[in-house]
Amino acid sequence: MKYIRKISDYVIAGGIGAMVIAGMQGCDNKSNENSFKEASQVKGAFVVIEQMKNGGYTIVEEYPSATTRIVVRELDGTERMLSKAEMDKLVADEAIKIDNGTSSLTEPSMSTGAPGLGSILLSSVAGAMLGSYIGNKLFNNQNYQSQRRTNYKTPQAYSKSNSSFKKARSGGLKSSTKKSGGFFGSKSRTKSRSSFGFGG
Amino acid sequence: MITLEKVKPLTNEFLESIGFYWHTDEDKSPYVADELVVVTQNEADKYYEATNELYDMFVEAGEHVMENDLLHEIGIPFNLIDMVKQSWENDIHWHLYGRFDLAGGVDGKPIKLIEFNADTPTALFETAIVQWALLKANDMDERSQFNNTYEAIKENFKRLVVLGGNTEDFDESYDDWKILFSSVKGSIEDENTTKLLQAAANEAGFSTDFAFADEVEFDGEEGIFKGEENFEYWFKLIPWENIGIDEGNLALMLREVMDNQKAIILNPAYTLMFQSKAFMKILWDLYPNHPLLLETSYEPLQGKKQVEKRVFGREGANTVILDEKNHVMAQEDGEYENFAPIYQEYVELNTDEKGESYQAGVFYAYEACGLGFRRGGLILNNYSKFVGHVIE
Repeated sequence: MKYIRKISDYVIAGGIGAMVIAGMQGCDNKSNENSFKEASQVKGAFVVIEQMKNGGYTIVEEYPSATTRIVVRELDGTERMLSKAEMDKLVADEAIKIDNGTSSLTEPSMSTGAPGLGSILLSSVAGAMLGSYIGNKLFNNQNYQSQRRTNYKTPQAYSKSNSSFKKARSGGLKSSTKKSGGFFGSKSRTKSRSSFGFGG
Repeated sequence: MITLEKVKPLTNEFLESIGFYWHTDEDKSPYVADELVVVTQNEADKYYEATNELYDMFVEAGEHVMENDLLHEIGIPFNLIDMVKQSWENDIHWHLYGRFDLAGGVDGKPIKLIEFNADTPTALFETAIVQWALLKANDMDERSQFNNTYEAIKENFKRLVVLGGNTEDFDESYDDWKILFSSVKGSIEDENTTKLLQAAANEAGFSTDFAFADEVEFDGEEGIFKGEENFEYWFKLIPWENIGIDEGNLALMLREVMDNQKAIILNPAYTLMFQSKAFMKILWDLYPNHPLLLETSYEPLQGKKQVEKRVFGREGANTVILDEKNHVMAQEDGEYENFAPIYQEYVELNTDEKGESYQAGVFYAYEACGLGFRRGGLILNNYSKFVGHVIE
């Protein structure tokens, strides 16, 4: 009847987990800015890339975020954040490969089954944003579109990434009558922290 | 005796980077302990099982309250009674999350229910995120914690749409119903706890927005709005009893909204019934001497050490501990004295070698999903500390 999940299966996922990792990597969050405000302004993507046993890489999670951040989780479990310079270099290197026809992104015959970090990065939404200057080379290429999907660890990771980025908002109803509001307006809470205990 | 493991604390800078600004108490001491309670896998499993069992008992007892018209008796404000009843009748008013406060559970002490914070529980951020980050920052195995709180809440958001069905069917059934999240302006803790829940709803696949409570507009005929946008759900991190008592007009409006089926309000109004401390007297009536329960009565218990609390008191306020002869052993004043008292058998909490008391808080979102501890003196109040845990 109940949906039981074993405690040992626990793994924190999602944008919040990513935010924690970003915080630990010492990413510069504007200190006077509420970090949750950031999450609502989608200008970039947060991507978690994982190394596979064959040495290649795969995209595990991808979420919209204010700034683009890429976490790479190596086989030994260590995590690191790519610097802007590293990201740019990976994109530039992959661009050269695309021009030379040696990138597995556009030439599936070049695929070894163990995609490198550069092609994985460009498969992600983040990569597409970073590599917008080579965008035409990629987006008009059918191989790229089909290859992208396979560079995600699971089909769910791919479709989740797609739906979270395209989440369209439908307009609200127009209201003609007069509504009431302003409740709790004069009752700002001043307590620094509420807590639990015998009280609640 | 509680076993503790010392860990490297998280810096304030890091905590603020993830939105956790309430890291320091008024006396400048850190609110999150740099120690973890060590629990065994078996103890964690027992917390899990006990909490699931308790929730089932709450549902049974809720049915009893409805059938016997006991809402007035357990202190539900009159202007909320219809909403409590109506929300109880239809599953679409889905209970998102709550937190059980438990005594015992470690070191051979039996688990006993202290209360269920079913409506607007605090310590969500601490339990779901901060204690997990502590493991990560200390290079400990991040799976060695009873904590899938965030994931469980995310899954439970999907059940707003699929209800008892399979959450994997969410995408098929979801029809762009939007959730508006609100807290009262002026508390960063409330605001970011609300936004954490909003993030979980977003990841579940909902369209969401945030507005402070005073910016939200209500119309009994048309529903709930932010500006011109209408929302199918309103999540409010505001206790239902505050709506009933402090904002009677809002309660009236919400009732109309509910009558006209224009919006669903979360947590549902019936969580106020679970939250009433008088509900534990109902539980004791239905399950006398149940091993997870403490005797609870509307009258002082005879010849027993006991705790007097108010039916809707928070943060340990208006709590009195009485010995066998009804002499006061400890007392916290507060603003809840107008509510009726209940008397609950006293139980000793687990203690550490310094004599500090520990109370377990287990989050529940469709099932038990996350454990955390609160440490303090005899009455755990606004100055008690959050202590994470690790499974050895």
